[in-house]
Amino acid sequence: MIYEHITNFAGKPVKDWEAQSGIQDPEGACYALRLSYEEADEGRRWTDKFAGFLDDPSSNRVSGIVIGDWGLLSSATDETSAPVIEALVAARESLPNLRAIFFGDIIGEECEISWIRQSDISPLFTAYPRLEHFCVRGADGLSLGALKHDSLKSLIIQSGGLGVNVVREVAAADLPELEHLELWLGEENYGGDATVADLAPILDGGLFPKLKYLGLRDSQIADEIARAVATAPVVERIRVLDLSLGALSDEGAAALLVSSAIARLEKLDVHHHFCSEEMTAKLQSLGVEVDASEREKPDVYGDEVWRYVAVGE
Amino acid sequence: MWLSASSDGRRGPDRFVVLGNPGDRRVELFQTALNELRLPAAMVVSYLDLLSGKETLPRLIREGTVVRVESPGKDFEVERTLIAAGADAADGDEGFDRVSRQAAQNLSFERGRILYPRQWYLGYLATLRLIELQLAECSPYRPLPLWMNSPAEIALMFDKIACHRALSLRGAPVAPGLGAIDSFDELGERMKEQNWRRVFVKLAHGSSASGVVAYQTDGRRHQAATTVETARRDGELRLYNSRRIRVCRDWREIAQLIDALCRHRVHVEQWLPKAGFDNRTFDLRVVVIAGRACHTVARLSRSPITNLHLLNKRGDVNAVRERAGRAAWDAAMLDCERAMECFPESLYAGVDLLFTPDFRRRAVIEVNAFGDLLPGVLWQGQETYAAELRAIVGAGTR
Repeated sequence: MIYEHITNFAGKPVKDWEAQSGIQDPEGACYALRLSYEEADEGRRWTDKFAGFLDDPSSNRVSGIVIGDWGLLSSATDETSAPVIEALVAARESLPNLRAIFFGDIIGEECEISWIRQSDISPLFTAYPRLEHFCVRGADGLSLGALKHDSLKSLIIQSGGLGVNVVREVAAADLPELEHLELWLGEENYGGDATVADLAPILDGGLFPKLKYLGLRDSQIADEIARAVATAPVVERIRVLDLSLGALSDEGAAALLVSSAIARLEKLDVHHHFCSEEMTAKLQSLGVEVDASEREKPDVYGDEVWRYVAVGE
Repeated sequence: MWLSASSDGRRGPDRFVVLGNPGDRRVELFQTALNELRLPAAMVVSYLDLLSGKETLPRLIREGTVVRVESPGKDFEVERTLIAAGADAADGDEGFDRVSRQAAQNLSFERGRILYPRQWYLGYLATLRLIELQLAECSPYRPLPLWMNSPAEIALMFDKIACHRALSLRGAPVAPGLGAIDSFDELGERMKEQNWRRVFVKLAHGSSASGVVAYQTDGRRHQAATTVETARRDGELRLYNSRRIRVCRDWREIAQLIDALCRHRVHVEQWLPKAGFDNRTFDLRVVVIAGRACHTVARLSRSPITNLHLLNKRGDVNAVRERAGRAAWDAAMLDCERAMECFPESLYAGVDLLFTPDFRRRAVIEVNAFGDLLPGVLWQGQETYAAELRAIVGAGTR
């Protein structure tokens, strides 16, 4: 579960945009557009708010925006993100300086992550060729299309269950500048049906030549992923491997321990894991920076041992 | 605002009577607080003795006596007696599950079982009225302000529907409410009308997190996080309180649960999103004493239900205050004080309040008549009970 709105994105602080306060720092801050329940109750739409934002004389200098709840909270039916995508695409001329988009900063108290209904977001990449940072939350209905982008440096897909269709779209993407790739794979119950085999093009290392950070996070199959990653060519070229938030146990950790490539990383992040104390200590003495905090205890129901991801549902 | 006893020139309070359950932790802690302030120990009248007529209040009260009504608590004997005391009133109160006086007296203890909360409330209401009547008999001297908390206002706090209405009329921020609903079907219709996808359904007369369901639907899916466990025994669906929050996704099961709660009267309001802190969601419990927001606890939770006895944890209030920002925090304290204006004859109560995730809006969730049991939480160096006593007897005591 995610409990708080983001406070930083693309290296900049996030500020909520409201008509009264306006845009004070178009280059230095990211502006968040969220429809509050009160606004929704008054019949306002997210697109109305966005129109107000575009009317702000400084909006053409804004470099980063965060899309918050677009009215899910106050809608008895499931509304997809399609109208929001449409509005963003239509605004491309008005936002020439836009480099960063966080699409869906919606916390669990607003909407379960697996209930966020996304849509085909591929028009965004065409509309904003200078985009460098893109993050999307929620994978239900999500599609990236045939992703080709010459500027994108960071791609983050947060979900409680990432569908194989999206994983395959990423694994076929053409992103020559990509440095940071982060996939929250989630649980099968919530649509996370990708297997290690689907990740193969990413793990082979040839796909994204500038990759420095690889995050395969929040995964129920973290052990399998750890085993595959431990010997994967991609680890030779990245600096940071992030397997945090998942269901990693001693089994997967053991594979990481014996990998010489892992030992040459700058950082290994496995926080929120289910390794034994002993294994945790071994990981910490790998000789690289290791975050093995948040050691969790599995839920036990009779004979069943359940290791849970940090963000599911 | 509650008027201090010492302000009208009459004799100061020198005698305390507590209505409660002897041996109960609350009663013990109150005695400790009296002792620390060098005040005489309170005479304790048990609910059972009051209800059986074995003890009456006029016998103990003279000028200068302060009466404190404590929680009837978790004592099963008291619970059963209150349910029996509500039997007559329940006759004219159609549509809710009820039990005869005789059957109530024969109820046997089952751990966690939710027993006839509507009838319990009617019984408790009758008890609070009895206290008022007995005190009226103390005339011609209506001795001192008498109450630390007034029976009528305790009754209001124990009716979540009426309390929500009172708060709203007073201008305290509250989540929009649906009031009472009679069934899951009606709930679905009303939610659609309002365009809501998330609500809290609570027993109108439940205390703590008893009988609470956080329900959401987007028309396709249904989900309920709840403290209630159910079991079918002898053809009836029995309800149990649990400290573990379970999540239920089968709409038939959710419908059955909410229908069962409706038979004891429920209050429904919109589930407003709560702010997060330290990788948890949180709300505040603020004890308002003599009109002033004092002891404050941040209740951090990984689920939408934040009550502390559900294995949730207390947060660092100073850090939360910093996160919220001074203006938001001060506004929240004013909201709690505003909420207590609905209860001018109550010296104290525990107000629960949420911030929305942007910290720009707030809502009062509940007002708890006995929400001042927060051992170890200090305000100006004092625990809650001591601060309440200090408000009565004046700062000079010690």
